[in-house]
Amino acid sequence: MKMDKSIGCSRLLWPVVIAFMATCLTWTSPRAEPIKIITSTTDMAAIARAVAGRHGVVGSICSGEEDPHFIQAKPSHMVMVRDADLWIRVGMDLEIGWEGPLLDGARNMDIRVGGARHLDASEKVMRLEVPAGRVTRAMGDVHPQGNPHYWLDPLNARIAAKSIANRLCRIEPKHAGDFRKNLVLFRESLDFRMFGKGLATKYGGARLWSLLLKGELDNFLKGLPKDGSPGNENLGGWLGRMKPFRGQKIVVYHGSWIYFTNRFDLVVIAEMEPKPGIPPSPSHLSRVIETMKAERVKAVIMEPYYNRKPADLAASRTGARVVICPLSVGGAPHIKDYLTLMDNMVDQISEALQTEFSQNKP
Amino acid sequence: MGISIRILLLSIVLVCLSASPLTAEEKGAQTDALATIQEQIRELKEQMTRERRAYETKLQEMERRVETLSKKMAEKPEADPEKSLEGDIAQSTADAPSSGPETVWSSVGSAIQSMNPEIAVSIDTLYYNDNTENGVGEIIGQVGGFGHADSHEEDHGHAHYFDKGFNLRLVELYLGAAVDPYFTAYTTLGYHNGIFEVEEAVFQTTCLPAGFQVKGGKFLSDFSRINRQHPHEWDFVDRPLISALVFGSHGLLETGAQLSWLAPTPFHLLLGLEAAQGDNENTFNNIGGDHLPDHSGPRLLVGWLKCSPNLPNRHGLQMGLFGSSGKNQETDDGNEDGTEDHWLDGNSSFWGADFVYKYDAPKEHGQGDWIVQGEYLYRRIDLDVVGHDLNPALVGRSLVKNQDGFYIQGVYGFLPRWRSGLRWDMAGLTNEDRYPTGNWDDFGTSCRFSGMVDFSPSEFSRLRFQTSYGDWALADGNREDFWQVFVQAIVNIGAHGAHGF
Repeated sequence: MKMDKSIGCSRLLWPVVIAFMATCLTWTSPRAEPIKIITSTTDMAAIARAVAGRHGVVGSICSGEEDPHFIQAKPSHMVMVRDADLWIRVGMDLEIGWEGPLLDGARNMDIRVGGARHLDASEKVMRLEVPAGRVTRAMGDVHPQGNPHYWLDPLNARIAAKSIANRLCRIEPKHAGDFRKNLVLFRESLDFRMFGKGLATKYGGARLWSLLLKGELDNFLKGLPKDGSPGNENLGGWLGRMKPFRGQKIVVYHGSWIYFTNRFDLVVIAEMEPKPGIPPSPSHLSRVIETMKAERVKAVIMEPYYNRKPADLAASRTGARVVICPLSVGGAPHIKDYLTLMDNMVDQISEALQTEFSQNKP
Repeated sequence: MGISIRILLLSIVLVCLSASPLTAEEKGAQTDALATIQEQIRELKEQMTRERRAYETKLQEMERRVETLSKKMAEKPEADPEKSLEGDIAQSTADAPSSGPETVWSSVGSAIQSMNPEIAVSIDTLYYNDNTENGVGEIIGQVGGFGHADSHEEDHGHAHYFDKGFNLRLVELYLGAAVDPYFTAYTTLGYHNGIFEVEEAVFQTTCLPAGFQVKGGKFLSDFSRINRQHPHEWDFVDRPLISALVFGSHGLLETGAQLSWLAPTPFHLLLGLEAAQGDNENTFNNIGGDHLPDHSGPRLLVGWLKCSPNLPNRHGLQMGLFGSSGKNQETDDGNEDGTEDHWLDGNSSFWGADFVYKYDAPKEHGQGDWIVQGEYLYRRIDLDVVGHDLNPALVGRSLVKNQDGFYIQGVYGFLPRWRSGLRWDMAGLTNEDRYPTGNWDDFGTSCRFSGMVDFSPSEFSRLRFQTSYGDWALADGNREDFWQVFVQAIVNIGAHGAHGF
């Protein structure tokens, strides 16, 4: 009787045990799932999305509306990073205030600094404002490795895309062909937007970039036969649209715009912040206003998350325009990828620079 | 060259011959010779043209080759413009104005930095005053139900509270680095009241699979937010009342080990278990000696659980539950003659819950941000009398103490860089001691209300003004109310200390 009972018990038990083991096995067995990529900002997410294509699921810690300098590493972020197959950061100390606790809390050894699945997208980009000499905090929030807002130069987006593609090829070699193809497509569409489709198609984006870097693009374009044949038209794209404003002086709120102004030859004559990360003081603001008057500055460019009152005040005193321009993908509802981010930036800034002074104040 | 020399010689011979005076025979022989010479010249001419042609074709071929080569060379960058662009990028990066001798300096600097631990120093100073005669430090040792009635505990409490006037509250030196791919480690050394001591000295694993982590050394227990934070991270100057009364001025700071596990749940769920020596004088005390058993460690176990739902960006919430049990011993001086006369041995335990909610407003420098946090804690001490010089009949009878308390506080950024906050503290909502004699005491409830305003010129400096009003129930049955004023300055230098949630 006792024996029977125990057999009955085990009869009931076996299916449960088998079901449990099956669940465990399916849980641990590798599934053909897309690569989970978590990035610090939406811009890196947008580039990663373009490169990973259908093989990747991409998320970011910051939304496009947040200031990436000041993010609170929440426990739910740690869960995102825990599950990530690849962590991509902007780097250059942009995330220094929150990346440490985030990666520590995620308990994912591979995504820690130096790990195979930790990618610093800044490693190959062209850096600006790398301080020469000693940095102290008396200078404000100066980044010892240089200004980290490098994605505002389309060339750096191109370089970062290559770094991302290389890393994806390494961690998921079976899709390497697709990643390379996606990289080529991303570069191509970026080059079309940068130089105009005709030029970029005929001469190749990379060649035009080389010429631009060496300062030979203008001469090269002058040398083209003006016969109206396809590809020999004038400079188009972002570069073409910004060309009339070369050398124009602008004021920015925070030093986030140097990569954009450097690439499109605008001159930042003053910053609203007396030192990086320090809000404008009245005396500094009055100096900025004097400079704006003297240099006939047409535009004050700033990110949406800063207080716009000082900029409004300066604008009302000088007749300049305040351009509140998103710095990141997702900063406005229609900015869904990297190309629309730059489209929007070029739109907003060129529009502000081409209008005459709203009031004719000296 | 050879051909032209030969032609030259022939022509010289010809000229010589024609120039000399000749006989008829000689003339006949001359014409023959002339004919052969002419023949030879013709042959030579033919040879010359042949060779010239060969040279010309060779030259043409070489020209063609050069042309194709130069074409190839011209075409080469077009074969892979991406490669040449990369070269140009490297070139212009090298040409960047910041390079030069400074690059050497910065690479040396970064090499030095990368080989050394992160170093940070926080200096926490304050001006303090209150309207009591002997200072709140003395009163805190007399709050009913908490702490012992004996005199050395009062001294102890006093030593760690603030003096009226200026206080160098704490100078904290932090050193931390990755040990190797498997461990990280840090230590904080604190200077306070003339003593320089190791506050925390911790190593923790980074390599364990499945969300596990082991931490060892001397560390602040992670059971609640206020306990694991260092004083310079707090939103108010002083420790919440319940924490100060139950754990003393250092909090639950123990030598031990911790195992924690990040569960594979879609939301954040962290579970932790700590085993520690149990050297907290207020709640987990080990005295030993002649009259009390000497328990070997670990004498304290702490378990906790933290859970964070996935809220939208800008909102963060963490809720925690905790519980603990450990050995405790007390000695008392019943007749107040200056010598201990009875000894107690048993267990202490505490349990409770805490939460923190943070809102990150879309404005700069903390404007509009909220932090709301609170904690409830219940403590029970259950001891048996193991020796009694005055009344041996009480040996074996028990002393039971039940105390609880909570705090809740909110901090709001009302301007960029400016915050204000309110805190409400209560201790002793349950506050009863049941003595071995069968008597019992029900002490009253102590409460305190604090308001603060702080200004942070940067992330590395903070100035704070705080005022508190307390109304505390003392062990002798009286109540004492008082006002406190704090003016605090905290500065941090060195490595950027990123704080956890």
